[in-house]
Amino acid sequence: MSESSPMGNFHPVDAPGYESILQCMRCGFCLAVCPTYALTNRERSSPRGRAALARAVAEGKLEFTPAVGEEAFFCLDCKACSTACPSGVRVGTIMEFCRSQEQVFHPPSLPAGMLRDFILKRMLPSPALMETSLLPLRLYQRLGIQWAVRHLGVNKFLPDVLAKLEGLLPPLSRPLRPDIPPLTPALGKKRGRVAFFLGCAMSLVFPEVSRQTVRVLSRQGFEVVTPRDVKCCGAPHLAEGDRESARRLASINLDLFLGSDADVIVTDCAGCGCALKEYEELLDGRAERERLGRFRAKIRDISEFLAEAGIRTEELRPVPLSVTYHEPCHLVHGQGLSGPPRQVIGKIPGVELREMKESNWCCGMAGSYALKELETSRKLLERKLAHVKATGAAALVTANPGCHLQLAAGLRELQMEQPVLHIVELLGRSLPA
Amino acid sequence: MLTKAVIDHLRAKVGAENVYHEREDLLVYGYDATPEIEGLPDVAVFPDSVEGVKAALSVCRDERMIVTPRGAATGLSGGSTPIAGGMVLGLTRMNRILEIDEENLTATAQSGVITVDLFNAAAALGLFYPPDPGSQNVSTLGGNVAENAGGLRGFKYGVTRNYVMALKGLLYDGTEFQTGGKCVKDVAGYSLRDLLVGSEGTLGIITEVTVRLITPPQDKRTLLAYFRDIRTAGEAVSRIIAARIIPATLEIMDRMTINCVEDYMKIGLPREMAALLLIEVDGHPAMVAEEAEGVRRILEEVRADEIHQAGNAAEAARLTAARRTALSAVARVSPTTILEDATVPRSRLAETFGEIERLKEKYQVQVATFGHAGDGNLHPTALADERNPREIKNVHAFFAELYEKVLSLGGTVSGEHGIGIAKKSYLLRQFGEGGMGVMRRIKDAFDPGGRLNPGKIFIDRASTSAVRMRGGQDV
Repeated sequence: MSESSPMGNFHPVDAPGYESILQCMRCGFCLAVCPTYALTNRERSSPRGRAALARAVAEGKLEFTPAVGEEAFFCLDCKACSTACPSGVRVGTIMEFCRSQEQVFHPPSLPAGMLRDFILKRMLPSPALMETSLLPLRLYQRLGIQWAVRHLGVNKFLPDVLAKLEGLLPPLSRPLRPDIPPLTPALGKKRGRVAFFLGCAMSLVFPEVSRQTVRVLSRQGFEVVTPRDVKCCGAPHLAEGDRESARRLASINLDLFLGSDADVIVTDCAGCGCALKEYEELLDGRAERERLGRFRAKIRDISEFLAEAGIRTEELRPVPLSVTYHEPCHLVHGQGLSGPPRQVIGKIPGVELREMKESNWCCGMAGSYALKELETSRKLLERKLAHVKATGAAALVTANPGCHLQLAAGLRELQMEQPVLHIVELLGRSLPA
Repeated sequence: MLTKAVIDHLRAKVGAENVYHEREDLLVYGYDATPEIEGLPDVAVFPDSVEGVKAALSVCRDERMIVTPRGAATGLSGGSTPIAGGMVLGLTRMNRILEIDEENLTATAQSGVITVDLFNAAAALGLFYPPDPGSQNVSTLGGNVAENAGGLRGFKYGVTRNYVMALKGLLYDGTEFQTGGKCVKDVAGYSLRDLLVGSEGTLGIITEVTVRLITPPQDKRTLLAYFRDIRTAGEAVSRIIAARIIPATLEIMDRMTINCVEDYMKIGLPREMAALLLIEVDGHPAMVAEEAEGVRRILEEVRADEIHQAGNAAEAARLTAARRTALSAVARVSPTTILEDATVPRSRLAETFGEIERLKEKYQVQVATFGHAGDGNLHPTALADERNPREIKNVHAFFAELYEKVLSLGGTVSGEHGIGIAKKSYLLRQFGEGGMGVMRRIKDAFDPGGRLNPGKIFIDRASTSAVRMRGGQDV
């Protein structure tokens, strides 16, 4: 997104491309789908308004003021506006660049900046360090402190952010990465060889889901290679405006997976899939076009891959369950995948899909947004759960760890019974053990 | 620049959360969807009640401040842009549907209600509000009334004006008005309602709208035809209408639009075709079957090059995909999309297409044309780059000459987008000094001080110093 002319009041490094901003024709179609506009009814908190602010900065009509930075972070980057936009503007991406600009113009205070740097530059790039960091949390749960905190209402006294963080945590088990087999053979008639991109959150928080992904792929006739040296996909860095670290991680993953000799690269994390599909743009000019193109062509979300390859249904057993499906933003808007997850759900005998209203609206998690914009996040979550409830479905299906955490925490808080299931967990239930 | 005292006064009267005066807010209340036009207000106020609107207007009078009413700012002629500064009076927080009256078949709503919300509320009760402007998911009812918005269903079902039964609102001087009602027949006095519909926010602020609802059609059939010669498409349209068939949708797309859609969607559209017609007939199932058959026969008689008829809803969705995607596909081609609104008596459609082709050649501009063939309402859409002044100049010259032709064919310079700022000079050509003088007297009667949405419709007297003009054009 590095293009032509006015940089204006933007800092030259990682400024949003003027071309991409100019593409907005201000038709306003995005206003109908933007959650932050729906909540505020304030134009500057809409995609059209945000694009106009970026344009004003680029054309020198406005400094990069604190308010511009605030809007960049108040944007959920849910990308719903990209789906609605007739002229192909990606305001979420423009805002990601503005988040980078914010670090230059209004850097965080020293302690906050150090913590941010530690997380983005040291912890996330190192899987081993992340796995050790979660150890105290696992102990905390194992020792029953979590139970006590939740049931005795101690977290009512914790500051809001900590309470939210605490509420998000599911029971943690051992991370998957160190244990996952580097090679899982195909069962039945072999249909191909795929590389599995194991995301950090999946490995650390939802190891059972990714175990299912590998099992499903294998039972569907695919040999699965899982490189253990996989790095964070870089999505958190892009979201926080640290494009340099994102590029560093992307280069490592690019080399690692192009060397894996697999037909496709599959992920079960919508956020990772979205980031991986953007490597071509992120690394433009820093890796050969041909390699970037080849890498891009291999990336598939698990639903996308299964729908494309066709699900072998012979050994599927009925799962009598009514479900509703929450579309992760990074799947429906980030990757344009709305049909394939539903096709996969539709193939499972016995499952009844009950569509909820606004199924493609953000649940309010949006990466670290849920911890930063507590109030907005809570409103979006409540709106989402009201729609879930209206369907009367017995389970809530989704396909992304962030949504999974947020929805499960919300259901727990409202004492709703529905379990949250990743699509592959649902499919896994239909396969013989 | 307003003093802090005025801002504080407004905040006290309308609610602090409904008043914006920071630069980052003001910048984004300066535009609508019209390219090249932008103003900068001094304050933006979003009352959530009629009392709030009254209060905001009273502050305006005290300060002798200009007011520009604003709905969702999706307009395509600059009608809601505050080109002379002052206050933007946003009505999007006046968004309550007040009543759906099933005995009188009417709906009453505040003017900031979103068009599709009213449509859905009516549909939930088995009723139908037909006007469907392209921006219906975001546009407000008040904005639709102010611009007399049209849509795809105009030919059979009419436009916004045909559904407005009553209006409530305020003049700049604070006078409250109420015009029309739920009576089907009503000839009492001048129809102020009809003056206000399409007045583009220059006469009064509309706060409440009552519209007529009808019963929805029970059945629908979709047909699609391609033509190697656009004149054959024009002939098909004329013959369908001559056969007394009134389709709910009768849409046309030219070769350039077909190719833009194919570039974008890659769904296998025939690139060599000069035109596509999308036809939907709706109504009672028996009538629909008969009309669909009639349309098909006419398409065969004029020798359309391809005819497709949908057998079910999924196929119908496939057939309408190209038309639904037209704007998206076209808008992606270039940074600046100038969507125009030339309208002719539908018998002159083929001729108008011919003229568009000739002028494209003459001015060397990229123009994709699609639109509502049944209404003679075309949207020639110029694909340009506003950073290229020569190109923009050519685009404006193209439209100026096209509108000359449109007027000579008995057409109008705006079928559904309004005059606003963008078409003031064309309007003068259409109405002449006499017609404009009558309009001016009406404007003066409603707003003698000229402080309500100045700079729109009329060329003179406006202070347009704040308007941004790219490419040196007279806007």
